[in-house]
Amino acid sequence: MNIREWALLIFSILGQLAAGMLLVLLIVRAGVVRKVGVEKAAQLTNPPLYMVLLIMILALLASLFHLGKLAHVIGAVPNLGTSWLSREVVAAVAFVVVLAVYALLLWRKIGSEGLQSIIGWITALIGLFLVYCTGVVYLLPAQPAWNTLATPVTFFVTALLLGVLGAATALMLNYAKLQKKDAALQEFVKNTLQWIAVAAIILLGIEFLVLPIYLAYLSTQGTAALQTLNLLVGSYGATLALRLLLVFAGAGVLAAYLYLNASIAGQEKSLATLAYSAFALVLISEILGRFLFYATHFRIGV
Amino acid sequence: MTKQLAFSVDIAKCTGCKACQIACKDKNNLPIGVRWRRVFQYEGGEWIKQDGQMIPGNVYAYTVSAACMHCENPICMDVCPAAAISKRADGIVLIDQDKCIGCRYCSWACPYGAPQFNEDLGVMTKCNMCVDLVDKGERPACVESCPYRAMDFGPLDELRQKHGIFAAPAPLPDSNLTRPSVVYRPNRVTKSSGDTSGKLKNLEEL
Repeated sequence: MNIREWALLIFSILGQLAAGMLLVLLIVRAGVVRKVGVEKAAQLTNPPLYMVLLIMILALLASLFHLGKLAHVIGAVPNLGTSWLSREVVAAVAFVVVLAVYALLLWRKIGSEGLQSIIGWITALIGLFLVYCTGVVYLLPAQPAWNTLATPVTFFVTALLLGVLGAATALMLNYAKLQKKDAALQEFVKNTLQWIAVAAIILLGIEFLVLPIYLAYLSTQGTAALQTLNLLVGSYGATLALRLLLVFAGAGVLAAYLYLNASIAGQEKSLATLAYSAFALVLISEILGRFLFYATHFRIGV
Repeated sequence: MTKQLAFSVDIAKCTGCKACQIACKDKNNLPIGVRWRRVFQYEGGEWIKQDGQMIPGNVYAYTVSAACMHCENPICMDVCPAAAISKRADGIVLIDQDKCIGCRYCSWACPYGAPQFNEDLGVMTKCNMCVDLVDKGERPACVESCPYRAMDFGPLDELRQKHGIFAAPAPLPDSNLTRPSVVYRPNRVTKSSGDTSGKLKNLEEL
């Protein structure tokens, strides 16, 4: 892979992280509002939501490094009628713009919690549409390694897995800095971490289910797909094994510990450490997975 | 729409000399690594042992000269995010280099490897059928350069009447994917797309 392909990897991973994190943070926020109060909801979830904006800005900046002729981007007419790549670009730009508006509303305390939450959920839908577009972009008939339902499914799983653990990390980073932590908030954060851990384990299960189906699919799709399969189990076998090991350690083992420890009183420090480590392992694993995605595709024909 | 223009190649006449490829590079001033027209060498079969001696059994080899197919369904054009690829009334598919953003998505989508990235320009380039010559009523450089007169150029329906409708010799992909505007006249060993008995033997040249 060269710098232009790394740009795609960073864009797609960060874009999916942002879309997933936003969704999870909005669910968490709705929970705090209901169980603890609006003021605490802002304190707990605003800084993590700003982080989502930052991540998405980085994603868009990274995507620019993919292009050979940046000057032509200005004034380019999108080919929305037939090109999913065009739709993806428009979705990504729309996502970051609406996300910025949402962050501004939160930051300047403009509008009621209800209005803010409507804007937030609209933003989340745009984010999910972006993940969908990114998936469909790769459904090219000339690329059998990509041209399968496994591509969009994997992208959504990545978005949600990075989303739950990324949200847990951002929430715990922010929670550590909060001044007054009443019992209700403490209880809420622990419950949140518990369902996040359960979600991570379920998503891990889906990832482990999709992989063997995908490998079996490759074995039936002709020469180009067989080349991909040979690389995945051959030269890149160690990378694939490491990716699986890391995601199992992060979203499986550490998530299970996170779930168990969250049910014991007075374990907050260890909960934060567990959340950070799980996120770090899964992030590395997903980057390796995406690396394999770009490094092992072969075009049919010549 | 006026008649779709197309190339044809007589595989029986082609010796794989690559004069077409070189004429294309020369005419279009292509940098190292960019080859709008390429000549694929496809070989297969094996030697068999008879009376203690190895003799060639079903060994075969042939060459396929191929460039952009100016397809009926140009997938490159459909997927281009910047609407930089268009198809003229005479069927020639062109990349507008003032619109191309250099994302190389078309090179993932085209099963003929026709759109190729030009590092110097930062944009995608491909065979334009020597559109400047065609507009003057002349023929593309590759066709004119062929020392065996194996190549022909003209409206697709006329080429089909003259040379048949075969469009998918191995190692080229199935023609149903993009409906290429091309005609190949096979020789007696030419295999069809999807064949697995042979291999591309000149990968380092492509």
